[in-house]
Amino acid sequence: MNKGEREALAGLLPFEAEPRLPDGRRRLLKEFVMSEIRRPAGHPRRRPPRPALLASALALGVAAAVSVPVLLGSGTPAYAVSRNPDGTLTITINQAKDPEPLEATLRSMGVNAVVDYIPSGKRCSPQPRSTSFLSRKESEHPADGRPFLIWPPNTDEPAFRIDPAAVKPGQTAVLEFSVSDDGIGKTAGIWANISNGPVAPCTLVDSDEAPLGPPAGWDD
Amino acid sequence: MSLRARIRDGDAEAFGALFEEMERPVFSHAFRLTGDWSAAEDVLSLTFLEAWRLRHRIDADGGSLRPWVLGIATNVARNLRRASRRYHDALARMPRGHPVPDFSDEIAGRIDAAEKLAAIRQAFGSLRREEQEVFALCVWSGLDHAEAAEALGVAVGTVRSRLSRARRKLEKLAAERQQAGGWRQVKGDHDSVVRSVREAKR
Repeated sequence: MNKGEREALAGLLPFEAEPRLPDGRRRLLKEFVMSEIRRPAGHPRRRPPRPALLASALALGVAAAVSVPVLLGSGTPAYAVSRNPDGTLTITINQAKDPEPLEATLRSMGVNAVVDYIPSGKRCSPQPRSTSFLSRKESEHPADGRPFLIWPPNTDEPAFRIDPAAVKPGQTAVLEFSVSDDGIGKTAGIWANISNGPVAPCTLVDSDEAPLGPPAGWDD
Repeated sequence: MSLRARIRDGDAEAFGALFEEMERPVFSHAFRLTGDWSAAEDVLSLTFLEAWRLRHRIDADGGSLRPWVLGIATNVARNLRRASRRYHDALARMPRGHPVPDFSDEIAGRIDAAEKLAAIRQAFGSLRREEQEVFALCVWSGLDHAEAAEALGVAVGTVRSRLSRARRKLEKLAAERQQAGGWRQVKGDHDSVVRSVREAKR
């Protein structure tokens, strides 16, 4: 196609302004795409269902996800918590229902925690639920080198790992979980942070945003 | 090793360079096809996730990957729902912003520009989907016939004929518009479109 022809056509629909993403947004989306493609090869959808499939760390913050076994035999607990020799806890989420028992279990194991499950298409309101959350940097790279959410978890089975020692007296750990099911595999997601002050209860509201945690840029 | 070969072999750094190079053309193309800022952001992300998934299809030899990437973007925009299902989990992790689109602000600030944009969208919308895709690729994204054919996976002759059909329809519309008195005629017809653009600014 020659220049004249293109100009004639362009003149018929003169879309002059160039739609452009703001730089910050462009960087965020690039970071998102790059962290997605760096996840281990093989999308769960393309594999037969099987347990033990770990996702890599997300560069986006303290949100993280693991795939969990698709088949829940009768008697499979909705969740499981076990203590590791180094004092950390391994949490397995099989079903996102009844967060209270998990919250009670964590409290009995010495973690002052607030736990919520976020169904698909919802999010907590308000977000952020605390005005005194640790910043992303403090939460991911604390001075003592022991972050609350350990990622990747390096567990044998798909699970999350947290370190109770990261929750100091007077602080509250906030954990939000989701479980999504694409018909072949399930993926559990977690968002975790520590609040120095009160934590608002989670009221579920309709949302087409990411379900877990406050929106991007909350700690800017 | 060429950028093509590196991406085909799974070199994430090379893929990052492709993102840098193609982000703007892909976003513009997606916005023009969908007319929707947030959908265009989804198309942008999904296009690159698809490009990574399909990287083994890249030939080590060849020129720019621009036609290939814009072809994927066209497919994603056409089947956004299907693509969203495939990447359902990834999209759940996608950072949802509250973008302040400079573009919409700029447009909303100028009523004549908003009217013009609404008129362009209406005329574009009168084309068949295949004609829209060829028009957007060849005219707005600057691909030549052969590149557009590569992007869409169709014969060069098909690109030419779709483009001529598009041209005939648009010329007819332009003639009708002129008879009716230019862009001002559009205002009454598309008041609601103009208003929604303005409201988006609030």
